[in-house]
Formats: sequence, C-alpha cells, structure tokens
Amino acid sequence: MADTPAGSHAHAYTAPQAPDSAVTRGQFLTLSSVGLGAMIGAVIGVPATAYVLAPLTDEVKFEEVNLGPTANFTKESGFAPTAATYVEDPSNPNTSAGLAWVHSTGKSNTDWLASDAMFVVFSNRCMHLGCPVAANAGGFACPCHGGVYNTEGIRTGGPPIRPLDRFEWKIENDDLKLTNRWSVDFLNGKLTYFPVKMPGQPVDLGAPSIVNDHIPDLLYPNVTYQHGAVPKPH
Amino acid sequence: MPLPIPIPPPPSPKQMVLATEDWIEYRTGFPTLVRKFLFRKVPPTGWFHTLGSSLLTVFILQATTGMLLAMTYDPSPNGAYESIRYITDYQTLGWLMRGMHKWGASMMVILLFLHMGRTFFYGAYKYPREMTWLTGSLIFVLTMAMGLTGYLLVWDQRAYWASVVAVNINGTAPVLGPFISKFLLAGPVFGAQTISRFYALHMLLIPGAIGALIFVHMWLVVKLGVTPWPSRPPEEEVELPQMVESV
Repeated sequence: MADTPAGSHAHAYTAPQAPDSAVTRGQFLTLSSVGLGAMIGAVIGVPATAYVLAPLTDEVKFEEVNLGPTANFTKESGFAPTAATYVEDPSNPNTSAGLAWVHSTGKSNTDWLASDAMFVVFSNRCMHLGCPVAANAGGFACPCHGGVYNTEGIRTGGPPIRPLDRFEWKIENDDLKLTNRWSVDFLNGKLTYFPVKMPGQPVDLGAPSIVNDHIPDLLYPNVTYQHGAVPKPH
Repeated sequence: MPLPIPIPPPPSPKQMVLATEDWIEYRTGFPTLVRKFLFRKVPPTGWFHTLGSSLLTVFILQATTGMLLAMTYDPSPNGAYESIRYITDYQTLGWLMRGMHKWGASMMVILLFLHMGRTFFYGAYKYPREMTWLTGSLIFVLTMAMGLTGYLLVWDQRAYWASVVAVNINGTAPVLGPFISKFLLAGPVFGAQTISRFYALHMLLIPGAIGALIFVHMWLVVKLGVTPWPSRPPEEEVELPQMVESV
C-alpha cells in the first residue's frame, strides 16, 4: 500500500507481474489458434498437393507394339519410309496412338543398333514442339513451324533442337515390333540414344545412353558433331 | 356507442415493395449495399468506360453457357468429341449455347485487351490504383489460361495438336518448364487424364480464381472511384526550363 496516494480510497490492485520473457495469455491463445489452424490446413493441404503434383515424377514408358509382318515394310525404293500406325494402350486409342516411319535400308541385320541394320524406325514427333512430321524423298518435314530433317532424321533446317526420336525394334515371328523409344542427340560427335524427353527439351546428357557408332561417320565423315549443332552436308 | 375503428386502406403495390425492401434491409443490409455500389459519383465518362462492365457481362455469359454445356459434355478421351457433336447437331439450341461460349471466349479476350489499353492510356494504373491494375493483370493471365484449357476440350485434331504444341512450349521454359508440362498433362505424355485435368482447370479452378479476383477488382473500383480523363489542372502547369544563352 505504500504506492497508494494519501487520501485515496481506491483499493490498489496490482496484476500479478509476469516475467518479461513470458508470453501473455492472449498471445499464447493467438499462437495456439494459428498453429492449430496451420496443422489442420496441412493435414488437408499436403496430401491434396501431393495428389495434384504426383504426375511430375512420372517418366515416359513405352509399351511394346506390333507393326505387323516385315514384308509390309521392305518394298521401299530410294528413301520412302512406310508409315506405320500403332496404339500403345488399346483401352485409350485416342491418347496412345502413334505413327512410326519405318525406313527399310535394304540390308539384312536384325540387330537394331548394327551398322547394317535392316530397318531404321523414326518417330514422327517433331522435336520443335511435337507436331507430326511427314516423310518425303529428302527426309522429313514438319507442317507446323517448318522443321526439316534429312534421311537420318537429323535436323537440317527450322526450329527443332535435336534429331528425330528413334524406336528400338526387334523381329519376332517375322513381325516387326517396336520395343522402346529413344531420344537422339550427338555426344562427343557420336549419335547417341538417350531416355525420352519431350519435344523442345534437351536430352539429359548424364542419363544412361547407347552410343550409335556408325551413323554420323557414314553420313559425313569429315564433320565433327557438337551437341545441338546443326550438321552441314558438303 | 363504441368509436368506429377506421379500417386502414389496403397497401399500394409501391408500399408493398418498399415494405419488402425494408424487411430485407433490416435483416441483411443488402439494399444499402447495392445502392452504394450502383449510385456513385463518377467523373465525366465515355464509351471507353463501358469496357469493364462489358467484360463482366461476357464473363457472366461464359460462366452461364459453360455451366449449361457442362451438363452434356463428357470430359473423356473416348467421349469428348461425340458429346460435342451431340451438343452441336442434336441437342435443342445446343448449337446456340456452344456458339455463344465459343464467340464469347474470343470477345472476352478482345474486350480484355481494349480495357487494358484504356486503363493504360488513361494512366489509370497509377497511384492509388496500382492494386486494381495488378488484380486486372492476374485476371488477364487467367483468361489466357482459360483460352488454353478450353481449346483442348473440343477434342478434334486441331484442338489436340494445338494443345500438344502449347504444352510443349510450356515445357521449354527454364528449370520449371518440364514440371509445368507434366502438371498440365497429368503425366509425362498426353494421356487419358489430360483432358479431365484441363476440364477441371477450365471449369473449377481458373473460373473460381477469376471470380474472386473480379470481386477484389470491383471492390477497388468502388473504393477508389472511376479514373477521370487524364488532364493537367491549370495551376499545375509545368514551367519550362529557361533557355540559357551560351557565351
């Protein structure tokens, strides 16, 4: 009562003094409400976000497809690849259909990577933005934005950033079957097969890859290829 | 003798309306809200000031026709094209609903550019209306996203390949590009889920966001007032620097 002014009848009430570092009751309740709300939000929000973003981790898979008897593809003279349509998933024909350009080399080796392989199977997906390319006597051309490729599927003009994808194939019971799809680019001067990347995106140079030893050397023996560079025929 | 009790005359229709309004007013305050929203002081305006409300009208048109189309549309890879064909060729006035939605989409983009141009040339993006400009910019981006996601839903060859190209353009963006592309496709390639994902974005997520942004946008318009035609008040005339003759 020492602090009460003389003559005052007020009962001096002194609130219990909390230590300076302590949180007040109001602050504690505010923080608890916010924290509890955040936890409730996270319980719903984290699985929902994972649900929406799960496809981001998916990689391209290729289901084996049968293109039919090899005799359908060997009547080629000059460079006139045969168009072969396929459906990867029969329950979704509208979204898993594709077209492969089957080029018959006139040779007989059934190993798809051999230098005398009997077929080279190109994807028709333009490496600019994914439109379908059409084959002609000089190679391939894309109707959308003018991408041009030579008979090896290597870009010779327009905006595509790398050669056409190629299919790994095998022959079983005299049927031509596509077993895998590869994205193709040059690494250390060699045509190299990489895991599939979408059109317009560069291949992952660090990914496991298959080197095709013969193609650039056969085509342009005096040209050293750089990744992403456009080879110039001479 | 008891005093005769006067019988009140029956209320006039006007009184009934006013009584109804009062009933709502005392319970919700909505009539005042609507009056404050609609009866505002505005500076001298012209036809250019009608572009914003035209946009709102077209948005409401798009939302309405979109809801009606959704009653028949089938967002699946095997059914989408046939359901569109049914709406266009067989359903009563289906061609009209689809036509209004299609042309309304183009109209919304055109009006949006005109509205943005008006805002820009009037200097209406300046203080204190920066937030109105920013929310408008977000509505602009989302309207473009509506165009992108809606284009695929027709599910004909043009829609399919245009969407392939558009998604691959997204994929070429640095760092995040491949993830954006996979997010849009609901997977690494165009698949059975792509069309339903575009549909959900087009139907629910983006229009909801646009609606919320329109609310904020209009709140700001009402709060800050309509921008007058830019002019310089006479007392603020800038004095030109004096020419100094060089010696």
